[in-house]
Amino acid sequence: MTRRLRDIARKVGRPLYVNRRLVNYYWERTRRNKLAVVGLAFILFLILLGAVGPFFTLDPTLVDFEQKNLPPVGFTTLKSVYDIETDELATSEVRGIWTHPLGTDSKGRDMLAMIVSGARVSLLVGLIASGIAIVLGTIVGVLSAYLGGWADNVMMRFTDIMMTFPFFLLLVLIVFIFGPRLVFIVLAIGLTGWTGTARLVRSESLSLRTREFVMAARAMGASDGRIIFRHLVPNVVSLIIVIATLSIPGVILAEAALSFIGLGDPTVASWGIILEAGQHSLDTAWWVAVEPGIMLFLTVLAFNFLGDGLRDAFDPKSNI
Amino acid sequence: MNAMSNVILKITNLKTHFFTRRGVVKAVDGVDFELRRGECLCLVGESGCGKTVTALSILGLIDSPPGRIVDGEVRYDNLDLVKCSARQLRQIRGKEIAMVFQEAQSALNPVLTVGDQIIEQMKIHLPMEHREARNRALSLLEEMGVPSVERVMSSYPHQLSGGMKQRALIAMSLTCDPQILIADEPTTAVDVTIKAQILDIFRDLKAKRQMSLVFITHDLAVVAEIGDRAVVIYGGKNIESAPVSEIIGSPKHPYTAGLIGCLPDISQTTDRLASIPGNTPSPIDLPQGCSFHPRCSKVMEVCSQREPAQIAISQEHQVSCHLNQ
Amino acid sequence: MMSHELLDVRDLKKYYPVTAGFLSRHIGDIKAVDGVSFHVREHEILGLVGESGCGKSTLGRTILRLEEPTSGEVLHRGTDIAKLGKRELRELRKEMQIILQDPDASLDPRMTVGDSICEPLTIHNIGDEKERTERVAELMEQVGLEAAQATHHPHEFSGGQKQRVGIARALAINPKLIIADEPVSALDVSIQAQILNLMMDIQQEFGLAYLFIAHDLSVIKHMAHRVAVMYLGKIAELASKPELFQNPLHPYTEALLSAVPSVKPKGKERILLHGDVPSPLNPPPGCHFHPRCHRVLPSCSRKEPELAEISQGHFVACHLCDAGDL
Repeated sequence: MTRRLRDIARKVGRPLYVNRRLVNYYWERTRRNKLAVVGLAFILFLILLGAVGPFFTLDPTLVDFEQKNLPPVGFTTLKSVYDIETDELATSEVRGIWTHPLGTDSKGRDMLAMIVSGARVSLLVGLIASGIAIVLGTIVGVLSAYLGGWADNVMMRFTDIMMTFPFFLLLVLIVFIFGPRLVFIVLAIGLTGWTGTARLVRSESLSLRTREFVMAARAMGASDGRIIFRHLVPNVVSLIIVIATLSIPGVILAEAALSFIGLGDPTVASWGIILEAGQHSLDTAWWVAVEPGIMLFLTVLAFNFLGDGLRDAFDPKSNI
Repeated sequence: MNAMSNVILKITNLKTHFFTRRGVVKAVDGVDFELRRGECLCLVGESGCGKTVTALSILGLIDSPPGRIVDGEVRYDNLDLVKCSARQLRQIRGKEIAMVFQEAQSALNPVLTVGDQIIEQMKIHLPMEHREARNRALSLLEEMGVPSVERVMSSYPHQLSGGMKQRALIAMSLTCDPQILIADEPTTAVDVTIKAQILDIFRDLKAKRQMSLVFITHDLAVVAEIGDRAVVIYGGKNIESAPVSEIIGSPKHPYTAGLIGCLPDISQTTDRLASIPGNTPSPIDLPQGCSFHPRCSKVMEVCSQREPAQIAISQEHQVSCHLNQ
Repeated sequence: MMSHELLDVRDLKKYYPVTAGFLSRHIGDIKAVDGVSFHVREHEILGLVGESGCGKSTLGRTILRLEEPTSGEVLHRGTDIAKLGKRELRELRKEMQIILQDPDASLDPRMTVGDSICEPLTIHNIGDEKERTERVAELMEQVGLEAAQATHHPHEFSGGQKQRVGIARALAINPKLIIADEPVSALDVSIQAQILNLMMDIQQEFGLAYLFIAHDLSVIKHMAHRVAVMYLGKIAELASKPELFQNPLHPYTEALLSAVPSVKPKGKERILLHGDVPSPLNPPPGCHFHPRCHRVLPSCSRKEPELAEISQGHFVACHLCDAGDL
């Protein structure tokens, strides 16, 4: 069994990181798109933030009511305090302090720490759910295109059904049955989100299948496995990379949206959860909602910029 | 002189460059020729030599950016087309100078019938009733030797064969009785028997309408069939121009000679084809000196150092090669 | 001269069913290859010429069983390829290879050209890593490339160089027969000659047989020993090269020959064919060529002519020849 697996692994086209000439070529092309480079830089920064950030910030779960609703540094808010002696509401000005550079929420938790740990959660959700969706979509797409005939029909009709399936209902159902656990939310997004990828990969593979190099491989006596893994898959990899960069922000937003309507996992501070908590205190502490909002906005934008840049770089016809 | 007054289009030192990130692509870098009234002038060259860009430059159809005509003159009827405004060019395009593109499939709009496209073309320049335009379209297609004209008029491009589409395109280009017709590889994508039919159409155009033709092709055999004079282009420059019989019978430039030698010819048997070694150069990175020298069998030291000037061997025969200096 | 039949094609047919409507009703067949018989001898170049849509490419692919034949036999040294199982077919692929028209499309853009050339060796498990690398280097030099270019990707090559890679790949496992499907028609004129010369050289060096498919009669004339002319899925005429070019009997061959433009002026008046090649879905009755024929007889639209041997090795399918009215 392991030998068989190794055989297959050997057959899979040499990954891009080995193909240095090709990587350089595509990097040269991507680099010409300034926005894509900015997007890539931001994503790398986020990954770094999610990976090592938590070691340098305060504990995001530490509750401190003394320090609640502090604004970010450089901002001030007015706080009304009931003064027992004068029996009046006294308004005092509160300044942001450097201990909590991005302020605190209504329970006095450090916003910076929460944003940083939220970055980790959101990225993981995005990567894992997109990963599942893309692997599934690629398998279905390539097989469907290569096998053709009734197999293609069955798989594509199943894809159609999946596409029309009310994804939202499924999530509500999952939350209802299993409780709002992040794992199930990620799985649900991944297991329902592959249909678009499957269609794109299928149409790309269909045109590849009729290309003459596949004909030549068949004439040499190549097996079906070899044609699929050595010729079809490596040629859809660029498409898959583009789909991935464009689908990750969608997944991150989907998770945020779920959290926002109260279907998120309350034990994990994703940006969506923070945003949801912040919306109730917009009048007293606007930053709690605005900060994760800005991060979501920038992240989605960065992935989209990078995705556009990659699509142009991989398209041999685009003259950049 | 009589020959001079006969010239209908004169191109002098035309240079069209494309400014890309990878550098300046000198697609056309000094092309000269003149087209005389009623003759068929062939522009001969391989892919990337600049023959199509030359044609597009004449009509001002170069996309800018990245392309620009950086130098030269295209003189037609006391006008320098390079300096003309976009509006003036639109008046000339199609009406005075028309063009037939290589790929009949993509040059026709797939969602309109062939008839509609011809009629529309006519209405751009001529004030015409629909009925009149339709009749004229029918007669043009008939002139092109289209068998069932009515059926072709109401067909969509995908319903027609390659040869039929090519004819429809030629008919379309003739709607305004242009003075000059530029045909870009009209016989390249079609079969031999259709190629013969299309060449026949062009021959007829010349004979019956006294049309001046610029015929772009890579096929010297086609040149021999249809051309009066030929201009051979290599690396964006014309390297030899002469009457067709002279070009084929006694080529002076080694490239021209090589092109003729490497044609497998139906009328004779050879064991081995003469071939030109190496590859066609990329217009972004042309060799120093004479751009043909790395492939030339008669290369001399001077060839890599200095670009050869164009010299006249006879009044009708010009060549740019150090061998003839 | 001993000449063995390497490939013997008998009454080969390839039909593509045409369906219509919701229930995919079978409304007819495109008879791309409709009863073709010929043979290729060892060390021989058989030219197959015809216009686009005549079925010559389909024929080449059906012989290699890249398309499943509808009926007929393809005998390779006596073994019927059309009846082989998957495993035996793979073994047989070592004997026959294909060179395709479009050098851009026939190489995997994601593979280095070295890997592409090596692929047949990998598939058939020939040699170890080191031997394969050596073989690739040797092949690249044989086709006029530098061995150092093996690590480059196709986009770094020109059209002619890519076609050389395609040739090297076809040669890798020492086949005896190569089906060359329009190998030069996508190349520049000055490059065509290089590739034709190369193909001639390797044919002589390795004692190969070619089925050389082309639409260009001058290329066929240069390459082939014998020539078959195809029209609408059938062979119209088949003869040795000198015989076919000097004494064409089928009016279609005549017309084809006279249509080829030439740099040398021709004495004869050109025969101009009218109309286009009809659709193979709905070919004309009788002889498929009769609506375009300049020497049509009344019987041509009624009865289909059989391919008959008129003189030694000269086969023609035409009623003119039946009647002895040449």
